[in-house]
Amino acid sequence: MQYGAGANDSVPVADPLLSDASLVTAARGGDMRAFERLYRTHSGKVMGLCLRMTRRRDVAEDCVQQTFIRAWRNLQAFEGRSAFGTWLHRIAVNEVLSHGRNHGTRSESNEDAIESAIAEPGEGAKELDAGEVMDLERALTTLPEGARHVVVLQAVYGYSHEECADMLGIAVGTCKAQLHRGRKLLRERMGLAAEANDE
Amino acid sequence: MSDQSKKPGDPLSQMLAALPKDVQPERDLWQGIQAEIGKTPIVTDSAPVVHFSSSRWFQMAAGVLLVLATSLTTFVITRNSMEKDAAVQIAQQQQPVPAATAPLNAMPVSFGTEALGVDYMKARSELDQRFEARMKTLPPSTRAKLERNLADLRHAANEISATLAENPSDPLLQDLLMSTYQRELQLLSDVGEMPVSHPVRTDL
Repeated sequence: MQYGAGANDSVPVADPLLSDASLVTAARGGDMRAFERLYRTHSGKVMGLCLRMTRRRDVAEDCVQQTFIRAWRNLQAFEGRSAFGTWLHRIAVNEVLSHGRNHGTRSESNEDAIESAIAEPGEGAKELDAGEVMDLERALTTLPEGARHVVVLQAVYGYSHEECADMLGIAVGTCKAQLHRGRKLLRERMGLAAEANDE
Repeated sequence: MSDQSKKPGDPLSQMLAALPKDVQPERDLWQGIQAEIGKTPIVTDSAPVVHFSSSRWFQMAAGVLLVLATSLTTFVITRNSMEKDAAVQIAQQQQPVPAATAPLNAMPVSFGTEALGVDYMKARSELDQRFEARMKTLPPSTRAKLERNLADLRHAANEISATLAENPSDPLLQDLLMSTYQRELQLLSDVGEMPVSHPVRTDL
């Protein structure tokens, strides 16, 4: 395993025996290498979330970077009530929303970036073939921003209505409506039969 | 997280849930993160609680304990490593000598505080007693927070120690273990030295 500056060529693999809690405890004491392990463990998921929310790889990477910088600065505020990954996702969503407010939401998406990013399906995509994954990712990028954010957080990353509403700073009712809208649009664009609940 | 958005049997829900969650960044973002966080270190929770002259004894005691702990851990790690090497060499040179190798193989490998020696444990115990005595005088909310922080540190130390036993040559784990012990001692020392009338910091 390599750490620190020498980690460019060989990305250190997170030690499965060390829990996030222990690494957070060490990082809170100022240990940057413990924090790097947390980064190596969680950066993929945070990147996936940011990329789907922003639809642009460059913006998503900036958001990931800012997420971990902010997380480091606020480690003392992390009380362990939620999983560390969930806490990171909250920061990441804030970064994405903040970026949208400061730079405006650009209409053009970088679909190629998303498609190439998921060209090698992960463990969760074993049941889907690459074509289905790409079609679905492409359909996701065409959703209106509000609906896309909710669909990504809830349907892809599994957050509840309440968690999603809290992260996005919207009402639970709005969240439910956006999910309904997003699912309906996705069905249309994927050519799937409408579900009774979506009508 | 919950499954509220998932509808069992719904193909769209299944497809969305099956999408890959991890997407690796194209470039290594860690370099930029490291450069940025290096400029603005976090405020660590091992910061001293109060500054007054009588705290010097505790600071010195914590310092001595840390040096002792560092030396002993290095010694234990080095000794274990050397004994393992010796065992391997003996096994290679004298294949049919099960009696000589068995005790070495059966020797438990531990990197916990017990491995740091009696003197260290005694001194740590004294700090612990002062800590406990001072804790009794603190408000319940402060006490709960300090107890939780101490429990976190001890849990982390145990976990790192167990992992280190599996990977004794990992320098990161060695450093992590030492810094965790250091912070535990600092916490015990900081709380033990707090004057009764002094306002209490709760962000330890």
